[in-house]
Amino acid sequence: MVQVNNQQLKIRVKFKKVGRLQYISHLDLVRTMNKIIVRAGLPLWYTEGFNPKPKMVFAAPLSIGTESKTEYMDIRLSEYIEPEVVKSKLNENMTDEMQVLDAYYPETKFTDLKWLSYTFVIKTEGADALLVERCGAALAEEELWVLKSTKSGEAMVDIRPLVRSAVCVLDGDLLRINAHLSADPSSFLNPEYIIKLLRGKCGILSNGDLTSEWYSIMRERAYLDDMTEFR
Amino acid sequence: MKENNFSSVLKSVQKPGRYIGGEYNSVMKDKRDVKCRFAFAFPDTYEIGMSNLGVRILYDVINKDKDVWCERVYAPWTDMKEKMEQYSVPLTAVESGDPLSAFDMVAFSLQYELCYTTVLSMIKLAGFPIWARERGEECPIIIGGGPCVYNAEPVAEFFDLINIGEGEEVLLEICRLYIKMKEEGRYSRTDFLREASHIEGVYIPSLYDVSYNEDGTIKEYRSLYDDVPAKIRKRIIADMDKAPYPEKLVMPYIETVHDRIVLEVYRGCIRGCRFCQAGMVYRPIREKSPETLCKQARCLFDNTGYDEISLISLSISDYSELPKLTDDLLSWTDDAHVSLSLPSLRIDSFSEELMQKVSSVRTGGITFAPEAGTQRLRDVINKNVTEEDLMRSVGIAFRGGKSNVKLYFMNGLPTETLEDIEGIAALSKKVIDEYFLLPKQQRPRGIGVTISVACFVPKPFTPFQWEKQDSFDTLLEKQAHLKSCITDKRIRYTYHDAKVSLIEAVLARGDRRLAPAIAYAVEVGATFDAWDEYFDYDRWISSFEKAGVDPAFYTTRGFGLDEILPWDIIDIGVTKAFLRRERDKAYEGKTTPSCAEHCSGCGANKLGGKNRWCK
Ligand code: SF4
Repeated sequence: MVQVNNQQLKIRVKFKKVGRLQYISHLDLVRTMNKIIVRAGLPLWYTEGFNPKPKMVFAAPLSIGTESKTEYMDIRLSEYIEPEVVKSKLNENMTDEMQVLDAYYPETKFTDLKWLSYTFVIKTEGADALLVERCGAALAEEELWVLKSTKSGEAMVDIRPLVRSAVCVLDGDLLRINAHLSADPSSFLNPEYIIKLLRGKCGILSNGDLTSEWYSIMRERAYLDDMTEFR
Repeated sequence: MKENNFSSVLKSVQKPGRYIGGEYNSVMKDKRDVKCRFAFAFPDTYEIGMSNLGVRILYDVINKDKDVWCERVYAPWTDMKEKMEQYSVPLTAVESGDPLSAFDMVAFSLQYELCYTTVLSMIKLAGFPIWARERGEECPIIIGGGPCVYNAEPVAEFFDLINIGEGEEVLLEICRLYIKMKEEGRYSRTDFLREASHIEGVYIPSLYDVSYNEDGTIKEYRSLYDDVPAKIRKRIIADMDKAPYPEKLVMPYIETVHDRIVLEVYRGCIRGCRFCQAGMVYRPIREKSPETLCKQARCLFDNTGYDEISLISLSISDYSELPKLTDDLLSWTDDAHVSLSLPSLRIDSFSEELMQKVSSVRTGGITFAPEAGTQRLRDVINKNVTEEDLMRSVGIAFRGGKSNVKLYFMNGLPTETLEDIEGIAALSKKVIDEYFLLPKQQRPRGIGVTISVACFVPKPFTPFQWEKQDSFDTLLEKQAHLKSCITDKRIRYTYHDAKVSLIEAVLARGDRRLAPAIAYAVEVGATFDAWDEYFDYDRWISSFEKAGVDPAFYTTRGFGLDEILPWDIIDIGVTKAFLRRERDKAYEGKTTPSCAEHCSGCGANKLGGKNRWCK
C-alpha cells in the first residue's frame, strides 16, 4: 500500500465559471459543487459530529454577474486520489461553462491571495476616445469615494488603496478596462464598484435601455502580494 | 434569451439563475436532426416547475425519441415578464433559447386551477392567440395535461388538444402521428386534430358542441363527427415496473422547491377518502416492485449526487413492501450520506421503526392529516383513522424527539356542524395532553402544535362532486368559531383564505362559459394567482360579472344528482354509480374499506393495469 500523508488528501481545484454561470450565486455554486463531487464518486472527508459536512472551502467568492477563469476550491478527501484523476472525474460531471483547469496539492493559504485581475467590457452610449480618457482619469484620482456596503451598513469609502491599477482602452465601440483589485478577505473589492464609480463620474451605462447597453466582467488571474501568480 | 444584449436585463431581475438553462443533464439536440420540437411549459416559476415529478418523467420519455426534442419553459416572474414586454422579447425555451414560435407543440402542465391565468399570460407572451379557434397553421399545437384536466372545461377552448390521464405513451403517440402526417404530406391543423382524437386519452375540445338548458345546467355534449368518441377515456400505464423512469435528472443550479431525488413508489391510492380527487382519478393502484425502485434510486443517485431520496405516492405507508424497500435503500444510503424522506404518512400506520428509518425528518417536526375533528365526520369522509391512532402516532413522534406536530384539517365538509369544528380544537388539545402524559425525561423540549385548516372544495370525480360549497360568510363564521375554541397558547392556528377556495371551486367545477371570464382576468393583468401576493379576489369577481357568470351557480348551488356535469365527457374508469353509492354512504355515516381489504367495485378495474387488488 502506498503511504499517504495528510497533505496529499487536501487538493486544490482551480476552475472556471463562465458564460451563463455568472448568474449563479456563491451559495448555489457551493451546493452544486457538492453534488458534482458526489457524482464524480470522490470520497469527500466529512466533519465529525451530529450533522457531518463535507470539507470544501472556496477562495474569494464571486458575486452574481462576474465570470471567472480563476476560481479556487480546496477539498479534503478521505482516501488518496491523484490530482489528475480528481480533475478528470470532476470535469466529466460538469458542463462546458464550469471546468476544472488544474488540480494540485496547495502550497499556499487562501489568505495569501491578495490581488485579482479583471477585464471589464462595456458597451455604453458615447464610447469614444474622450470617454476613455475621462474614465482613465477618474480611476487615476488620488481618492476614489464610493458608497459601499460594509458590516455596519452603507458608508462612503475611499477604495483607492483597493485599486492597484486600472487601464482603460477603446476597442471598436466597446470600452475595455483591465484592473487589479484587492482580494484580501479583510478588504475585498467587488469589481461592480468600478462600474458604479464610472457610472456616477462619467455617466456610462445610463441611457436606461437595458438591451442597448451592457457590460461584462471577467476575473482573469490571482496574485500574491508581490504580484507573482497565486497558486 | 442569451448573449450580451440581454445581460443587463438579467442583471436587473431577481434570481437570474431561473432563466439561464445550461444545467447538467439537460438534453441538447441539434434542431436540424429532429422532426418535432416539443416545449414542455410549466405555468409557474422555475423553482416550482423543476420540482415537478410529472415534468421530469415526461421530459425524459419524450427525449428518448430521437426524432423529438423536448425542451422546458417556465413562467417568467413578474419582474422579468415586465422587462420582456418592455423590450418585446418573446417567451423562450430554456435549452435552445428559441422562441416558442419555433416549436411544433407546446404542452402545458395544469397542476392547480389557479395557474390558469399564468398559462394564458404565457401563451400571450409567446405571441399566440389565446383562443384555439383563432390559431393558424403557423402556430404550434397547444396541449394541456396534468391533474386539472379531469375537468378542463373552463380552459378547454384555450387548448388545441388535451391529454387525459398519464402522458408517457400518449404524448409520444401524438408526436409520432404529427411526424407521420407531415412526412406523408397530409398534415393540416384540423386534419391532425381530428385524427389525434382517435388516440385513447386525447380530447380535442373543438370537436364537441355543448348546449345548455334554460336554468343554466348543461343540456348536451355532442361530438361533431361520428368518428370522434362521445366520451374520452383516460390513459394509464399498465405496468409500473416496465414504465420508463428517468435515469438522470436535470440538475438545477439554483435551489428549487424539491431539490432531491423523487422516487415514485406507486400510482393510485387504496383509500377512498371521499373529498379526495387524486384518490379517485389515479385509480387503479399500481405499485412498482422494491427491486425496480432500488435500481432506480441507485441510478439516480449516481447521476445526480443528491443527498436526499423522497419516496412519493399518495399515501406512502400503504405501500405493501415498504419495510423491504426502506431496508434495501438503507443498506447503502447511510454510507453515501443520503437520507430518506417520506412526505405522506398516515396516522394509522406510523411506527417507531418507520420514524427511525426516516432520518431525514430532521426538522424536529412531523405532519399528520386527521382532516376532521370528530369520528362522526371522519366516517362521513371515509378517512378511516381514529383518535387513538392519532394519539399513538404523536406519542411515538414525541418519544422520538419531535416536538412540533402539524395537523391538517378541513372546514366546510358535508354535514359539518359546530360540534365538528369544536372537535378540531379538542383534538389539538389532546395532542398537547399526550405530550404531558410522557415522563418528563422522555419529552422533547418545546411542544408546539400547528393546525392548518383548509376550506373544502367539492372536486369533480369525487363522491362529493355534487355537494355545495359553504358560502363565504359561513366559512368565515366557522373559522372564527374555531379560533374562539382554541385557548391553549401552544396551539398555532392557520387557515386558508376562503376567497381563494371559492375561486378555486368555481374554476374546478366550471364549464366552458367560464373561459371568457378567465380571459378577461388575464386581460386586466391576472397572472400567478396561485401566489398570495398576486391573487386578487375582486378582479375575479368583476371578471365573472363581465362574462355574465354567477359564481354561486358553481359553489353554493350544488349540482343536482341527475344533472349532466361538465366533466361527464371524461371517463376516469371509476363509475358515476360508484361515486353515487359512496355519497349515499357518506350521508349514512358508513365507511368503505380500502382496496387492500376489499374491492368495492369502483369500475377502475376495466382500465386494466397490473395490480393485486382489483377484482
Ligand atoms: S376496482 Fe376495486 S380494488 Fe380496484 S380500484 Fe376499484 S375498488 Fe379498488
